[in-house]
Amino acid sequence: MRLILNSIVGFVLLLFIPLAVDADNSALDIMTRVETRDDGDNRTDNITMTLIDKNGHERQRLMQSYRKDEGSTVWQLIFFLEPANVRNTGFLTYDYQEPDRDNDQWIYLPELYKTKRIASSDKSQPFMGSDFSYADMNRRVLNEWNFKLLGEKEVRGDATWLIEAVPVSSDVEKRYGYSKSVLFVHPELDMVVRAVHWLTNGKLKYLDISRLQEIDGVWTATELDMRTVEGKETIHRTIMNFSNVRYNQGLDDNLFTQRRLEKGL
Amino acid sequence: MKVGFKHILENQFEVFTLRICRYRYLVIIGVLIVAALAASGLRNITVDSSNESFLFPDDPVLIRYEEFREQFGRDDVIIIAIKGDNVFTLEFLNRLQNFHQKIADEIPFVASITSLINIRETRGEGDRLIVDDLLTTLPTNQNELENLRHRVLANPLYQNRLISADGEFTSIIVELSRFSGEGGLAVDDALSFFDETDAPTGNNEKLTEAEIHQLVMQMDELTRQYSIQGFEVIMAGTPAVTDTLKLTLQEDVRKFIILVVAVIMVLLLIAFRVIGAVVLPLGVVLLALVSTIGLMGHLGISVKLPTVILPSFLLAVGVGAAIHLLEIWKQKRVSGEQDHQAIASAVRHAGLPILLTSLTTAVGLGSFSLAEVAPIAELGLFSAIGIIIALFYTLLLLPAGLAILPAGKVKKKQPENEGEQDIINKALVNIASWSVRKAKPICVLSALLLAGSLLVAAQLRFSHDVLSWLPEEWPIRQATEMVDNNMGGSVSLEVIIDTGVENGLHDRDTLIKIDQLSQEIEEAPIGAISVGSTLSIAFLLKEIHQALNGNNPEYYRIPENERLIPQEFLLFENSGSDDVEDLVDSRFQIGRLSLRVPWRDTLEYSPFINIVNDKFKDAFGNSATYEITGMMSLFSRTLEAAIFTTAKSYAIAFGAITIMMILLIGRIASGLISMIPNLTPIAITLAIMQITGIPLNLFTMLVASIAIGLAVDDTIHFMHHFHRYLDKFGDVELAVRKTLLTSGRAMLTTSVILSVGFFVFCFASMSNLIQFGILTGLTIILALLADFVLAPALMSLRYGKIYPRETKQEETG
Repeated sequence: MRLILNSIVGFVLLLFIPLAVDADNSALDIMTRVETRDDGDNRTDNITMTLIDKNGHERQRLMQSYRKDEGSTVWQLIFFLEPANVRNTGFLTYDYQEPDRDNDQWIYLPELYKTKRIASSDKSQPFMGSDFSYADMNRRVLNEWNFKLLGEKEVRGDATWLIEAVPVSSDVEKRYGYSKSVLFVHPELDMVVRAVHWLTNGKLKYLDISRLQEIDGVWTATELDMRTVEGKETIHRTIMNFSNVRYNQGLDDNLFTQRRLEKGL
Repeated sequence: MKVGFKHILENQFEVFTLRICRYRYLVIIGVLIVAALAASGLRNITVDSSNESFLFPDDPVLIRYEEFREQFGRDDVIIIAIKGDNVFTLEFLNRLQNFHQKIADEIPFVASITSLINIRETRGEGDRLIVDDLLTTLPTNQNELENLRHRVLANPLYQNRLISADGEFTSIIVELSRFSGEGGLAVDDALSFFDETDAPTGNNEKLTEAEIHQLVMQMDELTRQYSIQGFEVIMAGTPAVTDTLKLTLQEDVRKFIILVVAVIMVLLLIAFRVIGAVVLPLGVVLLALVSTIGLMGHLGISVKLPTVILPSFLLAVGVGAAIHLLEIWKQKRVSGEQDHQAIASAVRHAGLPILLTSLTTAVGLGSFSLAEVAPIAELGLFSAIGIIIALFYTLLLLPAGLAILPAGKVKKKQPENEGEQDIINKALVNIASWSVRKAKPICVLSALLLAGSLLVAAQLRFSHDVLSWLPEEWPIRQATEMVDNNMGGSVSLEVIIDTGVENGLHDRDTLIKIDQLSQEIEEAPIGAISVGSTLSIAFLLKEIHQALNGNNPEYYRIPENERLIPQEFLLFENSGSDDVEDLVDSRFQIGRLSLRVPWRDTLEYSPFINIVNDKFKDAFGNSATYEITGMMSLFSRTLEAAIFTTAKSYAIAFGAITIMMILLIGRIASGLISMIPNLTPIAITLAIMQITGIPLNLFTMLVASIAIGLAVDDTIHFMHHFHRYLDKFGDVELAVRKTLLTSGRAMLTTSVILSVGFFVFCFASMSNLIQFGILTGLTIILALLADFVLAPALMSLRYGKIYPRETKQEETG
């Protein structure tokens, strides 16, 4: 009896294998569409970052950002506007898509009158002290992840693809700090509209794109909400608001230099 | 009036018992059902040996501690210390990296692991600022090793935290998760948070003891696996200590129950030589025990370290009542009473003293139920409840059981005991006449002994040091000592500084004050405590300031330019290190100064905490509020609560029992005098403690209250019978003799069982239990001696003149 049962289960499983392979392929297809969609270039915006700690205390940071794609590398220059005590503190980042190449980052502290290059090997480091990592702010390197289609789920009335992303190696896992992600992909916009990231330290991060706008023909997330969760408790939360978003601003390469960084706003 | 009441009560006992005998099967089934219902709570029983378990959940010190943990994570870390001849070799570092990774991969419920592999290093190299894990890549040659050695030994952040001053010890610090369960939440569960309105939020289950145990066990296994010559691994830290205590406790409890049951069986067999007289009392107390522990389970109260006493206590004490009843039942049968009537007469005569002695015993330990030390309060409450349960079971089950027991057998055995009883009786007669005749010297000597003992006992000091309870040669003690000697300590004290304003910790003066205080505290020992290492946000700022200034050690200081401070912090926050959130809240309003100190008796912590407190008071005045917390403050609070508890409990126990004695005897003076034979043995025991260097701790402080509750039982029996015989015969010596001959033997048997019941604690692994057992057993024997010798002497002095000798001649002659 048990043998028969096992055989039946085995047969049924066998039936599903081709489907699963198909699903993986389609997951990769979907993710390829997501990562290659036109997300605009030469972008300027203001970032309002609201940091909320577990006690509900809020802090706000206001930044001016300039962003440009240079091949597969993303250049970004950010100046702090608020709070006043860090005004004009600037960050210049070259974010390389090559897997084994570290980001380059320079920071300018106005009160120190010096630019320092920050060396760091991981992309899991927080973006401006928020719940977002530098990796969260950029595209995924597709061949660093294994994707799998889990199914469909509705987000705010729209059906989305549910895709699981697992790092291909422990190196990747370490670099990003994620042991797994589940992404909600909007099938028409080819955008991740929600995500859950499993951190290697046992915590979870919940991303919700709470506002989407079409700006200069580019679908743009203008409000992002990221919660870091430990157990069942939100231990930190960041709401990032983008305003005055403009694309195709013809940003000069000279903007993304140390000299410009030191000049301030 | 009193006699009338007593008479009514005795009649009631008799009528009630006859009814029990008639419905014996119904009674037994009924009691068994009740016991089974209570015992069903055993399923819910959990064991909690944590340091937090000593305090009530609503204790302000514990609440503050939980708040601290909520903000900054757990301070009770596991410290893996590794000894090598030289840490800075390729071989050693390779193994360290491997070990670190293995812990990360295999050990569950870990929040973070910190070692030389991943400790933050902030340094400047030219225009580069490096904030990264120290050993992202291992050195490959001797030069790099030398360079690393130099950097590590020069970094104040690592000193006594991850590396010993001589570079021979390094450690891995494992911080436990705060929450129960593994982080690997299933996809469906994780996604469901999106659907909840304002989730994810809510209360988490704290990491359970079972989970901590699993972690410690696996960690222990791993340390063994990795320990080799030149890489010797040991494990210390409060979670490991707690877990060892818990295991030891569970083993000891099992051992005690078996031993006590065995001892009681043997002694009952010797005393009564009847299987029924062994099975019935044992059955009664065992049922009472499972009912009591089951009740704890129903009420969700976990077994804690001091609860270990409860089983042996209940078994030994509970059986006493049964013995008194059986003894009198035996006499009634010898004097010719039959079956149910013999049982009813026995209860009639023994019922009241049993009721009273149970009450006094319950009051003795019950006096701790108001304790501020949670497990002591629970022990007090549940031992009192257990005694009352045992009393009910004794009064119900014993008569019902005796009514079922085949009667003939008991009677036949009776004559065999006579010869033996004669020897004991002879001895008792001798004691009686000697103590009455030598009344004066006995009383004078006792008075001197009492006074002397009280003087010595007054010097007794309190102590709270759970580690010292474990045998010295145990690995956890040696490991703790090693960490204390080489790595500066395994216990933490935390000072939480609240500046009251957002960005208050950007203020230069505040940071300088914190920095100076931590240096001051670290430099010179305070009392017996020298601080191994300190950590605060000031530390981190100095570090980054130095790194930004070309690593020049001169810049290891708080920046002169106050406006630079927030910018340096911002830089640090953006650098990938989350160390800031371990040291301040997100608003930079509240900061933490952590002190790591060696494990010592809490006695030495309390003055240390006071001095630290004073230093902060001087430095900050009203400009900032500060609170002291951390594991050390829990210890300190436990000790403080223990002292207060002991004073309160002793007062309650002695007061209540004195009042009960006065009411029982019906005469104030006699009641007060009757307390002298109870007090004297306790005073002597306390004096012995002081002389032999045993401090009052959570266990030894129980001795006096337990002993007074038990010692007074014998006194009650003595006084009860003495006054009856005195009224009847009007002669002190005769009354004493009659008293010792009637209830003396039962007193002797119960005292032997009780003292042996406590002496079995000598087989414990924990020294505190051994001390507790010896001291309580000793006090019980002393109390019996006092009732045999001092009580008659006192009665002789009190009544010798009221009832002159001539009367005696007539009566006895």
